Amino acid sequence: MINRLLIPILLFAFTCGAQTESVSTRPPKVAGVPRGADGKPDLSGIWQHIGVSLFGETGELRPGEGTAKTIWGPPVGAAPYKPELQAKVSYLASDDRLSPTVQCKMAGVPRATGSVTPLEIIQTPKKVAILYESNHAFRIIPVGKPHPSEVYPSYMGDSVGRWEGDTFVVDAIGFNDKTWLPGPGHFHSEDLHVVERYTLQPDNTLHYEAIMEDPQVLTKPWAYRIILRHPPRDERIMEAECSNEDNQDLQHIQPGKYTQR
Amino acid sequence: MRLTTSFITYLLFSPVWLAPAFAHHSFASEYDGQKPLTVRGTVTEIEWSNPHAYIHLDVKDDGGNVTKMLVEGHPPNILRRTGWLKDVLKVNDEIQVSGWAARDGANRMAGRQVTLPNGKMLYWGPPSQ
Repeated sequence: MINRLLIPILLFAFTCGAQTESVSTRPPKVAGVPRGADGKPDLSGIWQHIGVSLFGETGELRPGEGTAKTIWGPPVGAAPYKPELQAKVSYLASDDRLSPTVQCKMAGVPRATGSVTPLEIIQTPKKVAILYESNHAFRIIPVGKPHPSEVYPSYMGDSVGRWEGDTFVVDAIGFNDKTWLPGPGHFHSEDLHVVERYTLQPDNTLHYEAIMEDPQVLTKPWAYRIILRHPPRDERIMEAECSNEDNQDLQHIQPGKYTQR
Repeated sequence: MRLTTSFITYLLFSPVWLAPAFAHHSFASEYDGQKPLTVRGTVTEIEWSNPHAYIHLDVKDDGGNVTKMLVEGHPPNILRRTGWLKDVLKVNDEIQVSGWAARDGANRMAGRQVTLPNGKMLYWGPPSQ
């Protein structure tokens, strides 16, 4: 009798659990997007943060672009820095010359995705490469592989990818502490862990989400969400090596707090 | 007038305000948006350099005195996409540049709009955000 009652209860509980898991980790299929031979959405091509325009005849916004959505998802709020570290954030934000970007360093993750310069995704079933125009940064992301047992800290970190439904999910670790998260003075530690989600949309935009965790500096995970789009004409990634000319620009920059983000 | 209108539209509706895009440095860390400047001069050198390109100008005043002016602009990758093919500008060209003066008072400016010898106008650098 007990078994007769217990088994349906367990089956019901298991089914509910499975449904919950299904909703939380396997986003629904996105209809109407281009796909590769393996059936996965085809993320290939040049992408750029929709918040800037480098391709119009005047270098300005294209018609209708000024009102286009540039972010998606719920508001992310302020970066949740530990209270005792707020002073350091304020100090780093107090002078543009302290910015890693001004110093011509690679932007790191996820800041590189929000650069004013574009990136290119080259996708195969086994590896996805992301080539950033800025400073020759690149990531070659194996699909379905674990991180190496030891990762040497670097600007762009170590990334591994997997597909959750139609979303390409990248797990990135192994960062040095020389880059910033989005926002002025937003330093991080080598414990930074970023989970990125790339989801192609039927309107041919790419929704990008990065969830940043860093238990040394943040009190909880923090999100960054932007929309990427293809440039309006056939483009190639170009050379944009910031420090080739010894960054002569740096000596012109005045001390003080301005608007560098 | 058209430039002014588009510039105001840009400031009002620029999505940059909504989602930060990360550039090399802020405009205001080098230049003063409250000090607009227009100069006319002879191109002596063009640096297609990163992180910013530069035009070197000899600016002659009414008395014939020559002042050197360094005009900062976008990096070459952006300039290429906005119409600055390599032969658009040559040494010895007479051009007019509108932009903003350097905060430190040096003979350096943020170039915004360049009027070429043939009358064509191109944006050399960003607006004074």
